[in-house]
Amino acid sequence: MSGDGGVLVVGAGVAGLSCARALTDAGRAVAVVDRARGVGGRCATRRVEGQAVDTGVAFLHGRDPAFTAVLESVPATCLSGWPVDVHGSGRPCQPEAFGPGERRLSYAEGVNAFPRHLASGLRVRTRAPVERLDLSGKRSRAVLEGGEALEAGTLVLALAPEEAQRLLGSVPEPPGQVASALAVLGTARSDAALALAALYPREAPRPPWQVSYPEDSSILQIVSHDSSKRTAPAFLALVCQAHPRWSREHAEEPLWPDLVLGELARLLGRWALAPVHRHPHRWRYARTDRSAELASPLLFPLPGGCRLGLCGDRFAPGGGVEAAWISGRALARRILAEEDA
Amino acid sequence: MREGKDALQELVIRDRDHECEGYGASKVCVKVVAVADLPTRFGRFRLVGFWNNRDGKEHVAMVHGEVVGEEDVPVRIHSECLTGDVLGSLRCDCRDQLTEGLRAIAAAPRGVLLYLRQEGRGIGLLNKIRAYALQEEGLDTVEANRALGFRDDERDYAIAAHMLTSLGIRSVRLITNNPDKIRQLTQHGVVVTGRIPHVIPPNEYNRFYLETKARRSGHMIDLAENRIPEQSDPVLVEGMPPR
Repeated sequence: MSGDGGVLVVGAGVAGLSCARALTDAGRAVAVVDRARGVGGRCATRRVEGQAVDTGVAFLHGRDPAFTAVLESVPATCLSGWPVDVHGSGRPCQPEAFGPGERRLSYAEGVNAFPRHLASGLRVRTRAPVERLDLSGKRSRAVLEGGEALEAGTLVLALAPEEAQRLLGSVPEPPGQVASALAVLGTARSDAALALAALYPREAPRPPWQVSYPEDSSILQIVSHDSSKRTAPAFLALVCQAHPRWSREHAEEPLWPDLVLGELARLLGRWALAPVHRHPHRWRYARTDRSAELASPLLFPLPGGCRLGLCGDRFAPGGGVEAAWISGRALARRILAEEDA
Repeated sequence: MREGKDALQELVIRDRDHECEGYGASKVCVKVVAVADLPTRFGRFRLVGFWNNRDGKEHVAMVHGEVVGEEDVPVRIHSECLTGDVLGSLRCDCRDQLTEGLRAIAAAPRGVLLYLRQEGRGIGLLNKIRAYALQEEGLDTVEANRALGFRDDERDYAIAAHMLTSLGIRSVRLITNNPDKIRQLTQHGVVVTGRIPHVIPPNEYNRFYLETKARRSGHMIDLAENRIPEQSDPVLVEGMPPR
């Protein structure tokens, strides 16, 4: 029998869900765990005072026909082409997002509609942080905080590279393959992004753009006019994300949200200093630079008999949500191909 | 001075508005865009420059003798390796394989060396340097190299097949030690009528392949065993004992 032992995917971001989806569709037994309360990872939508706010990814973009087809199949109100009105000549988080042939969109319900769609029908367990791994036997073991151990023939880490490194660092007597995986993960670091969602009364001056990449700010890389995605927003919502370097340097500084608001006020006017609600979030591993990208996911057969796979947005060319989705699917295909071989 | 247009220059005119479905999974399409003489230390060649619709990489063919419309044309496929081809690295055998390929083709009545650009985009070379660094740590690097994008054979064969078709070559004899390359090219519709072993003459840099005694002890073992087969072609040195 092929594929016995099942697959455990750690990380319910787009890469992990894409991998789990493809394996499930091929009839494999798959379980997904994530430490967070919901699925989607950085494809995150929070409810702030009842209003949906995208605090990570502001919009989705890509050109792979299979990927854009999945985006369009999401049962949500698709905002095709969003953002249409782009302001500023600063460097976008992903410059290729505005390249020719690139499809852009968002959802009125929030970008999280995409990962939730990927997760529908999957066995996903949230609030289940994995603490350590044991990869010595025929079945891999992921031990959750609290001591419960989950077993599977194939273990997939669909995490930020630094988080995968931390878990692989917990493997007792690591075989050479784990050392190789750690070395590949160690070839580059993720960029951080400090993100602040600021909500203002509906009467506040509305920016005449949907996304701004301010060219003259050393603090803010992107300001997303989030409420312009919503059908009947109660608030004007702006989501600011700081440049990678500034974010890294200020991540431990308690007052960083005030510095971000100060910069926003400099760009938009003094009214922006005083939102009625604010929701700060530190994305420690927000994205990887293009210079760090890898060509494909990793899949190692281990001496004890289990297999270790790694995927994520760094494990496919192009970066971003599209690369995450592609890497997860590519890893699933390799897992299936090696079972059939 | 050349008189009139030759068969290769005709291809430039033919391909002006060439567009096809593309070859392979990435549906790559190439067209002949520029041709010129290129005298080399190995002999006279014509350099044929290709444009492709997938990336900015400018693949070229080194053409010796008349090949357009010909059969049984000796063909060598070489993947760009900046460190080996240009910088003389001893981590690989690319330079030996390239120069011997050009020498063998120049010595034959006709032949083509396809030079496939790999490292035009920065990341290719950067990840190769990363792969070398991992190798230095003594790691199991096969899977790591794959993730680092070290080779993409599927892509290479699709491009190579389209280039050979564009050159109007009716059938080829492939210069390789890797029979799998023949299967791959055949899949893309290239008629392969034979294989020519790619045997490199011994020199002071590949001598260790011949010195079986040295393989068992000393630093030679590192050089021979740790070389990454960047051309997906096992190295065969004249006089080398069978493995």
